[in-house]
Amino acid sequence: MALQVRTQEAFPEKWADTQNNLGNAYANRILEDRADNLEQAITAYQLALQVRTREAFPEKWADTQHNLGGVYGNRIRGERADNLEEAIAASKLALQVYTRDAFPENWAMTQNNLGIAYADRIRGERADNLEEAITAYELALQVYTRNAFPEEWAITQNNLGNAYVDRIRGARFDNLEQAIASYELTLQVRTRDAFPEKWAMTQNNLGDAYRERIQGERADNLEQAISLYNQASQVFTRETFPTKWAETQGNLAEALMKRAALSTLPDGKIKDLDAAITLLQAALEVAVTGSPNFIDCQYRLGNALSRRYEYNQKASDLKQALNAYQIALDAISPEHYDRQQIWQALPTTQSILGSRLVRDGEWQEGLQLLLNSVSQLSTGDNRLAHANALFQTGLAHEVLTDLDNARLYYRDALRWYEYLKDQPGIAKSRTGLGAVLVSQGHLEKGMAELLKARESYEQLVQPDKASEVDSLYQAAQRALERQASEVYA
Amino acid sequence: MTTADDIFDQSASNIQRLGLKEIPFTESPTDLQSETLRHIFTGRRDELRQVFNLFQSRERRRILVYGRIGIGKSAFLLEVLSVLRRKRPNMLTTYISLPANLDLATTALIALAQAMANDEWAQRQLYQMGIPTDKILKERSSEISANMGVGAKTGEKDLPIAKPQYPAVSLDTLLERAQAKHPDGVVIAIDDLDKQNPSQVRQLMHDAQGMLKGRAWFLLTGHPMGMTGDLLTSERGLFDLQLKLEELDFETTYQMLINYLSSARINNNCTDPQDPRCVLPFLPETAAHFCRVSLGKPRLFNRLGNTVLSIAADLQAEMITPKVLQEGLKAAAPDLLHKAALTVQEERIRAFLQRRGNLSEETITIEDLEQLGFRSFSEILPFLEKLEEADLAHQLNQDDARAFEPIPLPSADD
Repeated sequence: MALQVRTQEAFPEKWADTQNNLGNAYANRILEDRADNLEQAITAYQLALQVRTREAFPEKWADTQHNLGGVYGNRIRGERADNLEEAIAASKLALQVYTRDAFPENWAMTQNNLGIAYADRIRGERADNLEEAITAYELALQVYTRNAFPEEWAITQNNLGNAYVDRIRGARFDNLEQAIASYELTLQVRTRDAFPEKWAMTQNNLGDAYRERIQGERADNLEQAISLYNQASQVFTRETFPTKWAETQGNLAEALMKRAALSTLPDGKIKDLDAAITLLQAALEVAVTGSPNFIDCQYRLGNALSRRYEYNQKASDLKQALNAYQIALDAISPEHYDRQQIWQALPTTQSILGSRLVRDGEWQEGLQLLLNSVSQLSTGDNRLAHANALFQTGLAHEVLTDLDNARLYYRDALRWYEYLKDQPGIAKSRTGLGAVLVSQGHLEKGMAELLKARESYEQLVQPDKASEVDSLYQAAQRALERQASEVYA
Repeated sequence: MTTADDIFDQSASNIQRLGLKEIPFTESPTDLQSETLRHIFTGRRDELRQVFNLFQSRERRRILVYGRIGIGKSAFLLEVLSVLRRKRPNMLTTYISLPANLDLATTALIALAQAMANDEWAQRQLYQMGIPTDKILKERSSEISANMGVGAKTGEKDLPIAKPQYPAVSLDTLLERAQAKHPDGVVIAIDDLDKQNPSQVRQLMHDAQGMLKGRAWFLLTGHPMGMTGDLLTSERGLFDLQLKLEELDFETTYQMLINYLSSARINNNCTDPQDPRCVLPFLPETAAHFCRVSLGKPRLFNRLGNTVLSIAADLQAEMITPKVLQEGLKAAAPDLLHKAALTVQEERIRAFLQRRGNLSEETITIEDLEQLGFRSFSEILPFLEKLEEADLAHQLNQDDARAFEPIPLPSADD
């Protein structure tokens, strides 16, 4: 309505003010599609900037640049990596006018936003970006003191905590303590009564820090994390805050998976993994397809299913894990810093599933998976994962009694295990190679490998394996003696 | 002025100067007439004995002939079939090279139908698959002319064109018809399984287990790595005989050269290895050298023989003297390389192998692999096999590791 009266021609400044306000309204709008609202906000801000130029209205120009930066940081459409670059650029433009001396409050506000954009940034070196984020938050806190701006101080402390959880530089141990300290400061202001939603968010964040914490008893930290997530879920219910609820469930699932890894009781492990899988599947029902949380949940689901497979040996879990990894990989930006992790999980799971299927007699499909995983991992950075896939492929060929190929892949695996000085890998691939050579009638060569494999297992203090290898060795020895006696006879 | 006809005459006379009607070497044994093959096929006595022993039984058998590319599997198969045609006139023998993307049952169906030119039902099967024969075309035209008349036989003529929906059933039906006419049985030889991806071949064999155990004799050729090692062929007993063809020994290779040359020599069909005339236009020493360079591999032998004789003819030589042979072998390396049309990656591996002299699954190092831009020997193996296929490398007879060396041909600088 205002824009019908305040036209650009008649009242350019007022028109631009209204565009800016319209942008704010769209940016904060709860009704309708959030992605659409953010697009509308961007359009409105850009229109405002046609009038609010730096020369004519420097302060207003900075105001709209600041707003634009905030919206780009949250934008759903477009390439996320690009959007974050836009956000950083807009915030930096705003800071040209919003100096600390002239506009301390605005300067602090924009520093905080700049920090957020750097913390999320996909391009550039991740470690550098996080340092930039921490610097920006710390600058903001110079103005946002607890006494003068308690709410803003709490927001920035919370953000600073997030950056410390993710921080790559410095000792991880210290960074997590720092994060916990920041979140606890935040919670002094963000009480459940006064700010329930923000309180829940920081509870969730504090949960993350405890989940990863190194100091203290690991089991206690995990219990603390689980309790914090459960508290957050009291506010973030599925009905009222579906997205936040899904995020918290994903985090809780991760904590349960960590607890499962720590547990010594198989029943306890399976119970936690079952619970994690259920939570993740429920979270995925509401997570926005393609959103960072959706990708996280798929990746975590892949992890939980492939871990559960280790206990229940159900091939269906591995198949579902592969599916989840594939979805995550398809959704994540090719430039994203987490992509490598997911990218690698896929072929690694393929190789486990492949060898499983071969053992189950589905050898055509199994071998294909193994060969795919070998070829994908051969281009990646994780040499050990590649060596493992080569070993699994050797094993599968051995099961299929394709001994020539088994020997070839065991040798390929052994070459890398030796290069990486991975003793368990060396021991198992030598065992495989020795057994194949013996089966093929190359007794002495095979026995030499078995002897070395036995020594490796002895060094690894795995007497069961060593004696298994030894019995293979003894059998080969007897065959050799038989051959010799036949020659003399 | 020299006309094209003159050039042709000149070319023929250059070959005749060597005492030959033509160059007898050929890479493709399927191009040979049965009689020629009979003349030049050499050695493999034990292998032939094993196969023919099986044919003394009434029970149908499945035979897999395997060995490296260029070792003479097709020639062996054709020789077996040609002997059977002479010795067992009441047996129907068929031969087919496995077409790409076709299952074994349909392939066998095509082979059998093509061999049953007088069987209308068989010809219809081919026609329905879009494979025309002279016979069917004639029948079709007569049907059409009949149709154009009073239309008395319209009901019989509409032939829908479609691939066989149940090739195994069609094949079984056709086999039944064939056996009625050929009481000694039906042999279906399917060649070139090794030209296809080993895992695909494995699947083909898996799908064809029922057919292979059915009414016919089957002779198949395959790659040593792709098929022989797995459960299907070894433990489940799909084949009654798995016959490995190895490189020919020196004496056999020498005898093979004698047989090839005598099949094309003018006025001299001497085949006695003791008589130096039997290797003309080679001298005994150049014949022996030529055989050694051929490594007992029939296809390499044929490829090199072709180049050596062509170069000798170009040089207007009368004899393959050591110098002429050297020239011929020198020309062979670039010729093989040219024909291979290698990719950049293949060429890089070839050059590396040439420098190293040997690449083996056992001894290759991480540094070697990294120089080649790979991470494992299993990745470069297909490239090495491609080089082997192009006769630019050969695989050593080493059972405990796959190892390759370059073909020892003199380089142009030698």
